[in-house]
Amino acid sequence: MADAATLLHAEGVHKSYGATQVLRGVQFVLGAGEIHALLGGNGAGKSTLLKIATGSVRRDAGRLLYRGHDTDTAEGAAARDRGIAVVHQEMALLPDLSVAENIHLPHQRRGAAPFRSREAARLATAALAPIDASFAQRAVHQKVAALTLHERQLVEIARALSAGADVLLLDEPTANLTAAETERLFALLRRLATERGIAIVFVSHRMREIRQIASVCTILRDGVNAVSRMPLDSLSDADIVAAMGQATAADTGVAARPAAAASATTGYVVRRNDNALAIPPGGIIGLAGAPAGPEPLIETLIGARAHTGWQVSRDGTPLALRSPRVAVRQGIGFVSGDRSGKGLLATLPIIDNMLAAARVRQGRVAVRGDEVREATGLLQTLRIKAASLWGLPATLSGGTQQKLLIARWLNLKPSLLVLEEPTRGVDIGTKRDLYDLMRLLAAAGTAILWWSTEYGELVELCDAVLAFDSDGRPTDLLRRPDIDETRLALATGMVA
Amino acid sequence: MSKQADALRVTVPTGAAPARHPRLLTTYRTEAAILLAIVLLELGVGAMIPQALSRGNFADVAQAAAPLIIMAVGQLLVVITGGIDLSVGSVFSLTGMVTALAMAYGFGGVGSTICGLGVGLAVGTINGLLVTFADLAPFVVTLITYAAAGSLAFIVTAGHSMPVPDQNYYLLNSGMLIPGVVNFVLYCVVLTIVVELVLRKVVAGRWLYAIGSSSEASRLLGIPVRATRLSTYVLCSLLASFASVLSLSYISNAEATAGSNLMLQAIAAVVIGGASLFGGTGSAIGAVLGALMITVIQNGVNLIGINSFWQGSVTGVVILVAVLIDRVGKARR
Repeated sequence: MADAATLLHAEGVHKSYGATQVLRGVQFVLGAGEIHALLGGNGAGKSTLLKIATGSVRRDAGRLLYRGHDTDTAEGAAARDRGIAVVHQEMALLPDLSVAENIHLPHQRRGAAPFRSREAARLATAALAPIDASFAQRAVHQKVAALTLHERQLVEIARALSAGADVLLLDEPTANLTAAETERLFALLRRLATERGIAIVFVSHRMREIRQIASVCTILRDGVNAVSRMPLDSLSDADIVAAMGQATAADTGVAARPAAAASATTGYVVRRNDNALAIPPGGIIGLAGAPAGPEPLIETLIGARAHTGWQVSRDGTPLALRSPRVAVRQGIGFVSGDRSGKGLLATLPIIDNMLAAARVRQGRVAVRGDEVREATGLLQTLRIKAASLWGLPATLSGGTQQKLLIARWLNLKPSLLVLEEPTRGVDIGTKRDLYDLMRLLAAAGTAILWWSTEYGELVELCDAVLAFDSDGRPTDLLRRPDIDETRLALATGMVA
Repeated sequence: MSKQADALRVTVPTGAAPARHPRLLTTYRTEAAILLAIVLLELGVGAMIPQALSRGNFADVAQAAAPLIIMAVGQLLVVITGGIDLSVGSVFSLTGMVTALAMAYGFGGVGSTICGLGVGLAVGTINGLLVTFADLAPFVVTLITYAAAGSLAFIVTAGHSMPVPDQNYYLLNSGMLIPGVVNFVLYCVVLTIVVELVLRKVVAGRWLYAIGSSSEASRLLGIPVRATRLSTYVLCSLLASFASVLSLSYISNAEATAGSNLMLQAIAAVVIGGASLFGGTGSAIGAVLGALMITVIQNGVNLIGINSFWQGSVTGVVILVAVLIDRVGKARR
């Protein structure tokens, strides 16, 4: 298998974190010029495998060859470090330095050498020009902080290539991109693969994207290969879903949900100028569009920001949500889209993470003895596999962490639950679980306000969707059964 | 189909066997290691100087450790929330001067002690308000109060040391509220147990960790972040003041420089005890053992007859070792 065109070859890779076996003999082969989709559910081991490939995590057993060199030797490891680059989900650029400095940095090995800004600019232009000539012209002297997410990706790719990388690992690179940006990124990746023989590993949860961009795929399931380097053409969507071990959308279907018994006088209503949005008990209301629209509305409802222009009333009475504490006391729950920054309490055990909201909402003073039972019940309800309630959230996969954040509100019967992109970066099976949870909460009388950039799920679950254009102006309020992806795309100007 | 059905059916927590609490030794792994290190250190010194293992020396160590233990516990509360309090040493000095001065002006023992604790209350409130409401960095705020309180300690008596005129004031430290237990031991034990229980079993205690972990996530959860942080600064300063009156009661002489070494030692104790200066971790027992360890080292250096100038270097090495061991332990997990 290790022929000349094979850049990366992993064989029999094992990795455990404590008692949890994440990888159990995984094989992965990556050829030059190939765009290779790496698929698998939450906890299947994708991220761990990528980290092992870059050397940032040590494997327990198995071989890893880069261009035929054993990466356990010093030379092999050095070659690997040069050759394999990660384009990060959370960006690894230095925001306060210019684009030129960021690209120049890996070339500057000696701290005592003089910094020549002209040379840095020349190098950065040379690196960026083949990627996007007009961007290279414009951006070389800009600070990275001033760039859009997509432009930062371009800089990261340019930096990696100019430092000599021939393998790019992209973990959900499109999660926060617009449709047009995604299209541009894909065109670039194809060009790099065919013209320069760069090998690309592409992790995504969006089936349509995977088919657009990748030619072969490897699927992991519970730490072993379910599929090893098969051409994507030979696999149907159903094959892939089956290999990942998850229920397909067709299996679950659209569960019929009784329409909320809404009257104009119950539940929450938010208004700004002439726009009003009712969020009745038991209703699932969607928000669609770029952040400029939904964010102020959400921040008003959770008491995080005042003076956004939105007014909130509940059951006809105006509410002053001055702080998140006031909102939580009103029974307004919130699951942030920024999981690590505004959601998880990373140094606290799982049990504290799960019960944090309950303790505030119910004004608990002491940590109660029955909280262990409560937390165990929640884990079961959510089918979360956790080694221990007293472990840290970092021991869980991304999708499971997301469930944990929703678990906070599950037993509290919130009057309103505000969700920011809860299914982003989450595999299909976990998505289904999250949809079920939303239905469950709605059936119990919770009003749900849900911002998503995936129109398919809004169509499936929502009673109504408020769409915003890219400047944050509300453009349309669609009601079931008139919600469909085309209308949402037209109303928001974005294709999901 | 069955997956979804499951999810919908299991709506209420079933009566599954709840998970077992982790064993005590697992929870207190760091603390157990420090305790072991203290015992080994003491035995090592004892091998050279048998007198180190005498009852009298243990009493000396405990007496010397008491103020530091109390300050370390206060510092810990601030550190868990991700803050730091650099002013505790100056608060200690100023409290001693104010208390002794109050006695000289005819306030009784109780009244003077209250005056002294007032120093801690005032400085702590200033620290807390500036950190929470003016949103200034804890390092900067407490650096300011460190400088100000430190200079006030000289100003109040124009730099002269103040003897304690009250003949019975020693009872605060050396009396026995409970027969058979000297007061300073009682204070330390009660304080440690209470703080440890609050940190683990009271919701407000868990909030300290939550805030240290992510203050923004905590705020969005409705945790009263400002009030909680404010109270840690007040408590930290109050405990520094209490440590000072306790020390005054024992030494019966107030000096404007009494607390100058204590700020670094208190922070060191907290770090040795396993707390992270980034916040979110730490335990009262750890901080107390950290303080005890620093005192044991000082005592050992004295007994062996090493020039006391070396104390700081030895303490530094111990902190380094403690932090490295902690780091290696965490990397392996």
